[in-house]
Amino acid sequence: MVAPRSVAPALELVAVSFAYGRVPVLREVSLSVAEGEFLAVVGGNGSGKTTLMKLSLSLLRPTAGHVRLFGSDLDGFRRWDKVGYVPQRAVTAPTLPVSVDEVVTSGLAARARLFNRRRCEEAERIEHVVELLGLVGHRRSRMAELSGGQQQRALIARALVTAPRLLIMDEPTAGVDADARGVLRGSLEHLVSVEGMAVVYVSHDPEGFAGLAHRVVEIEGGRAHAGDRSAARGPAGADAR
Amino acid sequence: MNPFELEFMQRAFVATAVIAAVAPLVGSFIVQRGQSLVGDGMGHVAFAGVGLALLIGTDPVVGALAFTALAGVLLVRMGRAGLAGDLAIALIFYGGIAVGYLFSARAGAGQTRLVGLLFGSPLNLTWPEVGVIVALALAVVVVTVVLYPKLVALALDEQAARVAGVATDRLVMALTLMVALVVVAGMSSIGLLLISAMMVVPVAAAAQVASSYRSTLLLASAIGATSAAAGLLASFYGDYAPASAIVLIAIACYLAATGWRSLVRRISSTAVAGG
Repeated sequence: MVAPRSVAPALELVAVSFAYGRVPVLREVSLSVAEGEFLAVVGGNGSGKTTLMKLSLSLLRPTAGHVRLFGSDLDGFRRWDKVGYVPQRAVTAPTLPVSVDEVVTSGLAARARLFNRRRCEEAERIEHVVELLGLVGHRRSRMAELSGGQQQRALIARALVTAPRLLIMDEPTAGVDADARGVLRGSLEHLVSVEGMAVVYVSHDPEGFAGLAHRVVEIEGGRAHAGDRSAARGPAGADAR
Repeated sequence: MNPFELEFMQRAFVATAVIAAVAPLVGSFIVQRGQSLVGDGMGHVAFAGVGLALLIGTDPVVGALAFTALAGVLLVRMGRAGLAGDLAIALIFYGGIAVGYLFSARAGAGQTRLVGLLFGSPLNLTWPEVGVIVALALAVVVVTVVLYPKLVALALDEQAARVAGVATDRLVMALTLMVALVVVAGMSSIGLLLISAMMVVPVAAAAQVASSYRSTLLLASAIGATSAAAGLLASFYGDYAPASAIVLIAIACYLAATGWRSLVRRISSTAVAGG
């Protein structure tokens, strides 16, 4: 069942500009993503798409313009449990052994209780995302023992344990084999079409989101414009939901 | 003779085993964050606090605590401002040990006392000193238990933890202050220059054979405590410097764990190849 949508977009960028020192990276970028919508953001290396993602997550502050999450300016936004973030897999290459279960439950750290005791609904949510992403048999495995695709799915599961309404993913299929991409696509399809989640998929590779994205935005020269329509499936609501 | 019937050995055992068991708890987070040498640097800064304390006639523990806490806050703030480059950190750390020796020499501190602070002198501890060490170690354990889920999230991926709503800036500050506490707690027993080894080496050893973050922490803690006990025994029977013996035994544990892991992998690959 699709969750009821809030009126405000899940993510909204209004005339956002950003510069590293005097080097402009993004210029007056505006876009929005509603719940139940899959937005792909594409661009080459150095185009500014990762900067755009970091601005959306409040990891960077815009030099001009506004970023809003669920209708709130970032300064006043407190409901980070509504936002899930999936980094590139290489970011979390662990030095120490860490199990899939530990990676997934670390997504709940902000509201963890003493001795990491879990509330009933949290335990159920963990079970749900682990099953959704096909990790049931790997919960006790070391992350380092898993394939690239399995590791990526564990990171997505971590982002999903808070039951977010917006999922922002950075190059989620980088270094992932074809089989794992298939599982990933199935999971994303479910999250958008069944759970009504907003997904922002940042990638240089259209193959990962072809047929999934409702809209494609290309970042080029620091500006955003509509991307290749052949990679998109059309507006949200036009598909079977 | 049972060495642990002697009171000075009992004091040494309690002090070194407690701090060697607690140091890896904090060490696991700094190792995962790629900051394995931060404890070493804190030891240098603590020496400046010890020097000043000796000069003004106060307890060296107080001086070391004040300086390491100050350095911890400074380093975190510099990191946020993008100023914590290698050079800035080196200036703070080397400045610390230079100031420490300057003050200590001016205070007329004997070489034996200084060597004891730098390389540990667990056999000379008094019960009140052991009490302070245990209290500081207990504080670190309590903070680690309370913050454990957040520290794990921070260690695995700071950006993801921040997006998930973890107050990462405050957590980094807490972690840095925990490192400072461990350094100060370990300075009399294992020494300012060797205590950071006990934050890192047992963790590296445990990581060779453990299957999860939690089991790494627990195993590293056990390796730390065992190395402390074995090091004290080696020092008693072989007349070795105790803190050096403790660290070298921990390193031997690391080498043994690495060898064990290689052996297991070789056997596994042979079994797979053999069908």
